[in-house]
Amino acid sequence: MADRYSFSLTTFSPSGKLVQIEYALNVVSQGVTSIGIKATNGIVIATEKKAVSTLIDDSSLEKVSVISKNIGMVYSGMGPDYRVLVNKARKAAQAYKRVYMEEPPTAILVKEIASVMQEFTQSGGVRPFGVSLLIAGFDESGPWLYQVDPSGSYWPWKATAIGKNMVNAKTFLEKRYNEEIELEDAIHTAILTLKEGFEGQMTENTIEIGVITGSPTVQEDGVVVLPEFRKLSPNEIKDYLANIA
Amino acid sequence: MEYNGGAVVAMVGKNCVAIACDKRLGVQAMTISTEFKKIFQATPKTYLGLPGLATDVQTLAEKFRFKINMYKLKEEREIEPRTLAHLVSSTLYERRFGPWFTEPVVAGLDKNNNPFICNTDTIGCINFAKDFVVSGTSTNQLYGMCESLWEPDLEPEDLFETISQALMNAVDRDCLAGWGAEVVVITPDKIITRTLKSRMD
Amino acid sequence: METLFGITGKDFVIAAYDTKAVASITMMKIGEDKSRNLNDHSVMLYSGEPGDGVHFAEYIERNVKLNGIRHGLEMSPKAVASFARRELADSLRSRKPYSVNLLIAGYDVKKDTPALYWMDHLASSAEVPFAAHGYGAYYCLSMMDRYHRPDITEEEGIKLLKMCINELRTRMILNMPDFVAKVVTKEGIRVVQL
Repeated sequence: MADRYSFSLTTFSPSGKLVQIEYALNVVSQGVTSIGIKATNGIVIATEKKAVSTLIDDSSLEKVSVISKNIGMVYSGMGPDYRVLVNKARKAAQAYKRVYMEEPPTAILVKEIASVMQEFTQSGGVRPFGVSLLIAGFDESGPWLYQVDPSGSYWPWKATAIGKNMVNAKTFLEKRYNEEIELEDAIHTAILTLKEGFEGQMTENTIEIGVITGSPTVQEDGVVVLPEFRKLSPNEIKDYLANIA
Repeated sequence: MEYNGGAVVAMVGKNCVAIACDKRLGVQAMTISTEFKKIFQATPKTYLGLPGLATDVQTLAEKFRFKINMYKLKEEREIEPRTLAHLVSSTLYERRFGPWFTEPVVAGLDKNNNPFICNTDTIGCINFAKDFVVSGTSTNQLYGMCESLWEPDLEPEDLFETISQALMNAVDRDCLAGWGAEVVVITPDKIITRTLKSRMD
Repeated sequence: METLFGITGKDFVIAAYDTKAVASITMMKIGEDKSRNLNDHSVMLYSGEPGDGVHFAEYIERNVKLNGIRHGLEMSPKAVASFARRELADSLRSRKPYSVNLLIAGYDVKKDTPALYWMDHLASSAEVPFAAHGYGAYYCLSMMDRYHRPDITEEEGIKLLKMCINELRTRMILNMPDFVAKVVTKEGIRVVQL
């Protein structure tokens, strides 16, 4: 009964581990690599999008998601689990907006998602989410890039990577990153980092990129307008790839 | 609104706002107390006025104190007056078909010290204003006083005088409001709170 | 119609109630207790819907006592009044609200001040120097307004109370039998037959 403690999520092993959470992290580390870089004037998040078969129409697959006007998200790990979190995150953002008539600050939304993920490590009859998330948001306090893990822990990053190639990718980012990096450079760096561990041909259809840039502006009536998170179109990605090659 | 009586008014000045209320608590024509609070500090630079049915005034004051404190703990910042206005609005609309009988007023300076005032109806429809808002049983009288006394860009002391005269002369023509008044002037660097003596009949 | 009175002074509060038990136009009983001692230094008077008053007051009384046992601390009159208000306000928006008017008279031992809270059946609460509930209020508030001072002595308080009762006996069409007063001081609660 060596793995006696792997049945119930709510049981600690004698060494103080919750093995199910560790297994969830293993799922993530086998998942496709995702990159996030915070620049002075914005953030970029990117990931590979590889279809298992050439027969799949990959134009409708979505891995980078818009959560609210000023927040976007990407994942490494299990796709179906991610979609559940996207739904919950979008709902949480709208619920916040219904009360305050404002977009939620990045930190608030991250805490909301993290608490959902934590709940799934302590409740009965459920398993943890097999995903780590990168959440990019721009609010009145500036650009923020967060990582959330299956355990519900979260950290803000300047630049980071999750998934299969995260160790190499992080080393690569450590070399490339500097405090003055601007968004255009950051997008290039993100693509280059992805390219490091990329298997096969990298095209505008096999990667996804989301960016948010600008700065909050105050309208005449006092309402604050935040920058918008958007996904780059295949054509835009194509241009970036052309510049790299 | 007419059961307990009471009036609240708020005005915009130059880089400042003022909010004032009367202090009467009555049961129809009978005065019970002349020390009844109707305006409440929400943040260091925002006040919330709650004229109307006294029980709902007290319940909502407690409810909003709770919500504002929770906001502060969660978001690690003070709630902005505009955000508070929407919080008030959505809280009231939750009771769309069995409303709280109060018409709240929000007055404050935002983080850039820009004046903000507004009021809502009992179910949370917001009315943003650049000059003044009135609420309670003396609204008619207050509108008349404010229309004739208010002018743009009043300095804090002039704004205090204007809002005080507007309120006192309005409630003197309202048998359900008056019996003393409280005025708060909010400026970027200080809050001026004064209680006014007025006719006690 | 039931009448409740409350008068604060320098170092005491007097809370008085008439001892009638009425059903519609019939007087059922004289000698009804319309008060409950919540703890050593606060008393609650109630009037309104017959069953509701006793039920609500005893509910508050027991919870206030439980709170005192749990924390080894006596609840202040302000705390008692806030608690009673919250309970009454919650009940107000329930399916069957309590229909009771309350006076909470207490002595704040920590602050060394008397306190009197007026609360109606809608759970509007106010701290006041003197108060009255019922039709008697219409006759007596004006008298209290005229003769009350914050620094009156207990004898003056009782005298004022007797003036009020006298006024009711002369002016009200209803029979005004016995009144019972409870005096709360630093030393505790004691009953004064009027």
